[in-house]
Amino acid sequence: MTSATRHHRCELAVIGSGIAGFAASIFATNRRLSTAQVGNTGAIAYTTGYLDLLGTISGENQVLTDPWEGLTRLRSSEPDHPLNSLEEADIRQSFSEFTTFVSDAGILYTPPADHNITALTPAGTLKQTLCVPATMAAGPRALQTQSPCLIIDFKGLKGFSGRQVAANLQDRWPGLSCRRLTFPGMERGELYPEVMARALEVPATRRQLADLLRHAAAEVKIVGLPAVLGMHTPDLVHRDLEQLTGLTIFEIPTMPPSVPGIRLRELFEQLFPQRGLTLVPQQKVDRLHLSGEGALLELADNYGPITIEAKAVILATGRFLSGGLQADVTRISEPLLDLPVTQPASRAEWYREQYTDRLGHPIHRAGIEIDRQGRPLGRNGEPVNPRLFAAGVILAHQDWIRGRSGAGIAIATAFRAVTAAEQLLRS
Amino acid sequence: MADNTIPTINFKEQALALLPEGASFDACLTCGLCSSGCPASGIENMDPRKFIRMAMLGMDRELSTTPWVWCCTQCKRCQHVCPMSIDISQLVFIARGNWPKELKPSGIVRSCELIRATDSTSAMGLPPEDFVFVVNDVLEEVRASQPGFAHLQAPIDKPGAHFFVNQNSREPMNEPDEMVPLWKIFDLVGADWTYSSKGWAAENFCMFSGDEQAWYEVIRKRVDAVNELGCEVWLNTECGHSYYTMWQAVNRFGLDAHFRLESLITYYAQWIREGKLPVNADWNRPGIKFTVQDPCMIVRKAYGESIAEDMRFVVRTLVGEENFIDMQPNRSANYCCGGGGGFLQAGMTEHRRTYGKRKFDQIATTGAAYVLPPCHNCHSQMEDLNHHYGGNYGVVHFWTLICLSLGILGENERTYLGPDLLALLD
Repeated sequence: MTSATRHHRCELAVIGSGIAGFAASIFATNRRLSTAQVGNTGAIAYTTGYLDLLGTISGENQVLTDPWEGLTRLRSSEPDHPLNSLEEADIRQSFSEFTTFVSDAGILYTPPADHNITALTPAGTLKQTLCVPATMAAGPRALQTQSPCLIIDFKGLKGFSGRQVAANLQDRWPGLSCRRLTFPGMERGELYPEVMARALEVPATRRQLADLLRHAAAEVKIVGLPAVLGMHTPDLVHRDLEQLTGLTIFEIPTMPPSVPGIRLRELFEQLFPQRGLTLVPQQKVDRLHLSGEGALLELADNYGPITIEAKAVILATGRFLSGGLQADVTRISEPLLDLPVTQPASRAEWYREQYTDRLGHPIHRAGIEIDRQGRPLGRNGEPVNPRLFAAGVILAHQDWIRGRSGAGIAIATAFRAVTAAEQLLRS
Repeated sequence: MADNTIPTINFKEQALALLPEGASFDACLTCGLCSSGCPASGIENMDPRKFIRMAMLGMDRELSTTPWVWCCTQCKRCQHVCPMSIDISQLVFIARGNWPKELKPSGIVRSCELIRATDSTSAMGLPPEDFVFVVNDVLEEVRASQPGFAHLQAPIDKPGAHFFVNQNSREPMNEPDEMVPLWKIFDLVGADWTYSSKGWAAENFCMFSGDEQAWYEVIRKRVDAVNELGCEVWLNTECGHSYYTMWQAVNRFGLDAHFRLESLITYYAQWIREGKLPVNADWNRPGIKFTVQDPCMIVRKAYGESIAEDMRFVVRTLVGEENFIDMQPNRSANYCCGGGGGFLQAGMTEHRRTYGKRKFDQIATTGAAYVLPPCHNCHSQMEDLNHHYGGNYGVVHFWTLICLSLGILGENERTYLGPDLLALLD
């Protein structure tokens, strides 16, 4: 049968569709760089929706309420951490640009402030984060003011228990109570947050839920729900439910697969093509050829082969789950270009004896090395190619989960990579 | 017990064989993105994640006999959202094929048998001579009754024509006047096209019955028909699975097809861009709202985003930018309507409507008065959902709206127009 390879040409190719990849595309779009993005489903659907910059510093017991001050101490405690090579002003701008873009596109976020927000997790623990979706903002406020609050969960919804949230927070938030409701139209079987969120896009479902909430809240004026308040128009759903009930309502992230992550993914997947970006979703790049003049990406989707020709490339392929790094019996490697990966000397040193060791595990700090422009380094310590940049948690010398710094590393290093790529392309 | 006659499959072995290179079930987080995004989750107490976990646990008897495999429409949304790209629909295909014929849903089996019964490959059993008769009969009537179309053409078996056009059997069998708008569009753009008396039909339920040999034989007949006429393009009309079954089979069975497979949607967009189809939205004075359905078979499972964009370009041009409202989610992330995979033919009405509730909600949320689905199964399912759940939307073909916009929609070609659209024609 006759068929043809589809070919795209652009200035910048972004490989990866997690927070780092999408952030890179936001910054590139804002700078009017013609851009193509390719990436597998990735881990974005697992995000809580919180955008952390820095929540803890390795070896310290206390949480960081001021991440900007924390960044100065990070330089001495973790000198090779990728955030250390970035200017504070650039990090601030990167967060500001990211949250402004996402807010303008339909998911309102709180702007980056001078202090972290103490936010709720689905387990009823607390964490430090920099920006939260507007639908979640009332939770931390209510915690701070210790206002009486009702946590609602739903029959059939696994991974979110109002009783657990209230039990774990009872010492810090005595005014918490909980109730279990039956979600309208979903009386039987297992419930998924995604399905509930989409159902709440329908006004009739909102009205039914509002009746239940009003009745359940009784004298309480603030209600926390699992993050299910709409998928495509969360702020509208949130506002509408507040108006229908007269209550202050906030969302708490759920266990994956979580709605806030799917919201972001679907927003990006719809918005970028409208802004002229070539997006090939849910696919991985098979081969990446680099030369002095540019790069050629080879991949395939269901329909057949695709090639993308670019003048610069940003590698934002993530870690093990997303395929940016892979581990075999003896070593950790970077599969696309076989970039050198900084890692423990042997497999025996990947993990410490205790799984919950406060110092974390050395494997989590494995990753690729970059120079100050974000260019990956080869075995000779020199940039592999002047047109190749890297961003996100593929970078070495950070433990983003323990440091509560995943989005910070992703957004700030993507900003640096795009800035450097722009300079190269415009020179 | 009838179940005793269903052989047991080793699903774990099958699943492992289907994994893409380098992938591993060990890396499955059991995160549930597949089940969370699947409209068939919960039906027959099954969902995609459970299916895979049961396969890994060796629960082969349960999986070999679960009727859920006939409720999964093989839409591949689970694979689309899976970080590991695990293709559960392939396991479902294998499971379907494993059921003895007499235990499979009889509607799907019967449709496949009818497809194989004549050279037409029509699931409604319309033989070649009857198809030729209906086409010529309708053509004669249009020529006689519609001024301006006295010379309309509907060629059959024209050697060397550029387009070999397929035709869903529903039109010649049940609503022959619905063929006419497309003929008019071809006439207007000056397309060099032909029907074939052999292999003309669009539908193909043999793939959905899990009968690989039957699927091959049907496609073989169609490929031979196109090759014999020497056409450059097999043009798939507004039908989803006909494209997918042909395209997949040509690759899967290594068939020697001397032509390209193309979708009519792409050509609608191209002809509008080239000015050959001078449609616009001037007719939509009341601002009637429209949405589109992305058929899984041509968007997520085949062309991807490019055809989704073409579809939106056509609709926006036809109805006006401000009158187009996208469903959420959409494009490759869209939900199957529940009419695919042979579900409409399987006789499991309650399950099919449960599955389709999510589609109904999607449409209702847009507030659109009409849905445009370039797929016959989507069309039928969404009409049924509207009726069952008490909605108030209509379902129209692209060809109807194109001819309406051009002012050439004949009186007998208005079956799917509601009072609001009919009022514009009076």
